[in-house]
Amino acid sequence: MRKLLLAATLAASLPLAGHAQTAQELMAGSQKDTADVLNYGMGYNLQRYSPLTQINRDTVKHLVPVWNYSYDDNKSEESQPLVYKGVLYVTTNSATMAIDAKTGNQIWKTKVEYPAETPRIVCCGIINRGLALYDGKVFRTTLDANVIALDAKTGKEIWRSHVIDFKDGYSQTVAPLVADGVVITGISGAEYGIRGFIDGWDPDTGKHLWRTYTVAGPDDPNGKTWPGDTYKHGGGSTWITGSFDPELHTVYWGTGNTGSWNPTQHPGDNLYTCSVLALDPKTGKIKWHFQFSPNDPYDYDSVAEMVLANLDVGGKPTKVVMDANRNGFYYVLDRTNGKLIAANQYGHQTWAKGIDEDGRPIPSEVTDKVRKGEAVDVWPGAMGVKNWSPTSYDPQTGLVYANTLYFGMHYKPVDVQYRAGLPYWGADIDWIWPKGPRGFLKAIDPLTGKSKWEVPSDIPRFSGVLSTAGGVVFTGKLTGELEAFDAENGHKLWQFKTGSGIEGQPITWEQDGVQYVAVSSGIGGVYDLFAGDERLSKVPAGGSLWVFALAK
Amino acid sequence: MRFAACVVAATIFFTLSLPAWPHNAPEPPPSKAEWEKGAEFFRDICSHCHGPHMVNPGNGSFDLRKFPHDERARFFNSVRNGKNSMPPWKDILRPDEIAAVWAYVRTGGVEPK
Ligand code: HEC
Repeated sequence: MRKLLLAATLAASLPLAGHAQTAQELMAGSQKDTADVLNYGMGYNLQRYSPLTQINRDTVKHLVPVWNYSYDDNKSEESQPLVYKGVLYVTTNSATMAIDAKTGNQIWKTKVEYPAETPRIVCCGIINRGLALYDGKVFRTTLDANVIALDAKTGKEIWRSHVIDFKDGYSQTVAPLVADGVVITGISGAEYGIRGFIDGWDPDTGKHLWRTYTVAGPDDPNGKTWPGDTYKHGGGSTWITGSFDPELHTVYWGTGNTGSWNPTQHPGDNLYTCSVLALDPKTGKIKWHFQFSPNDPYDYDSVAEMVLANLDVGGKPTKVVMDANRNGFYYVLDRTNGKLIAANQYGHQTWAKGIDEDGRPIPSEVTDKVRKGEAVDVWPGAMGVKNWSPTSYDPQTGLVYANTLYFGMHYKPVDVQYRAGLPYWGADIDWIWPKGPRGFLKAIDPLTGKSKWEVPSDIPRFSGVLSTAGGVVFTGKLTGELEAFDAENGHKLWQFKTGSGIEGQPITWEQDGVQYVAVSSGIGGVYDLFAGDERLSKVPAGGSLWVFALAK
Repeated sequence: MRFAACVVAATIFFTLSLPAWPHNAPEPPPSKAEWEKGAEFFRDICSHCHGPHMVNPGNGSFDLRKFPHDERARFFNSVRNGKNSMPPWKDILRPDEIAAVWAYVRTGGVEPK
């Protein structure tokens, strides 16, 4: 009798629990499966677009908070939550959490610990950007460079794989990607003289499957783009999750700046820094590479999201990969072969005269001077025309919504000696601030780089962007407002002030006929720490998650 | 051998962190050379958390412009051992390097004449 009852209970709870998340579900993405948000970027294409329309340009004014969940953490909250079958999963630097998506009740919370020395080698905020879900497991990385798998039901650790010693400058903030059944992770630390890489792991056991270096060594013909031993500290971090084309079985992953920044310390193209790599997820083999900024002096890293779309290029439907690069050009490449389709300026820059047909930048006089070791004023500054904050591509309007930056820098290359665990910058910089706004939310035509509309902000936005078929674009401000704009013209439709600054990545999903929007609030990222903008002194730290829906 | 090195390091630290001037008298201004070394160190290893030239909003870390200029012992203690999410530095920075950064902080980042 008892046994029977137990069996019945189990059977009844199975469909609810439903943690057998599959490759099929992952492939559908948030554009086909609006009930779930299964990966970083809301679909393998990283478009951050949802076909949901309950919240639209007419109804958004009725958006109200449904619940708020405290992270008990006062760091920068940049994590993108995931949602699977009514459970929301989210990370901070110090914990992984599962929360009932409807009520905000915590299901489990598993703490993450790392040595107190770790933040020394983290340049730009003590953060974590999120997780991956696959086959009943939750995957994440830790600041001190470990990849871990937790049981999605209980939060219990299933495996932990040590990546590399953080004392040599390596750290992790990246949300993993699961592609073709392989867990893929990147690494941070180009400012600390690392040699960057991308790793593949077995989701069941945590066994290391492959490592692909983003800084070519002597065993690679492209290794000759690094003089002598310079590749050993050549940078090339990989801290933003790649996109994945399941038909082409190809992962597209951006790579970071050189170590040191000073280009005279390592003359040459410095492959594969400031590039996008097209990889085979099963082996890590590089199918092709495209370099945006060879021998980059300015920290114009190219880690940020590589968005996949199918665009009409001269009347021909074309599979493209798109990148709002830190260097100020918006790139569209043919993702089948890495050939350049378009590269147009989408913000102010003075470092290049343009991009030639093969995609190689034509250096301006400013850059010529820097390569001779001289000090210059250059735009954009080291934070780029767009930093890590992910864009959204709306296939309905064909526009890319991006939080862009507008400030330059005084830049002087300096010689730096490598010392393990200490910064390896190689440059002396100071910001150049414009009089007015330091950032714009822009609606950009990817093929021309031109804006259809722009919304300025005195303190630039550093939050992700989300667009929806309801014609609403969501993003957030460092002063705490979650904002909604009309996708057609940029008119502000709604805002809500959260208790700290927003550096998070808004998502949306639908459960039992209700459309929800969620975003993390919590200040403390690169701009807050490193820009010296004292207007933010009135924005308190304090991480939490906000969830909104239309008032009933 | 290891122990000996430790003793030497400890002695150096002791000498550097203890005031070498009369009790109760204000600390004499640092030399230009020490200050410059401190400014460079600050820029390279502290500024990404404490802001360029110590300018920061104070919500993500400590506003070092407000650090009391007469609390040398507290400075050394916090920098060596860390405090909450301020990382410890004693295993990686030499005492003379911490002293140089202190010279920079206690002058409010203003270069001595
Ligand atoms: C990873 C970020 C980070 C780095 C790098 C960092 N700090 Fe800090 N520091 C902090 C934070 C956060 C606090 C606030 C600690 C608290 O009280 O909670 C702090 C506090 C301090 C304090 C005040 C401690 C007290 O007694 O109240 C001093 C002094 C200080 N830091 C000096 C330095 C110096 C010098 C460096 C460079 C060697 C440095 N910090 C590098 C994050 C950092």
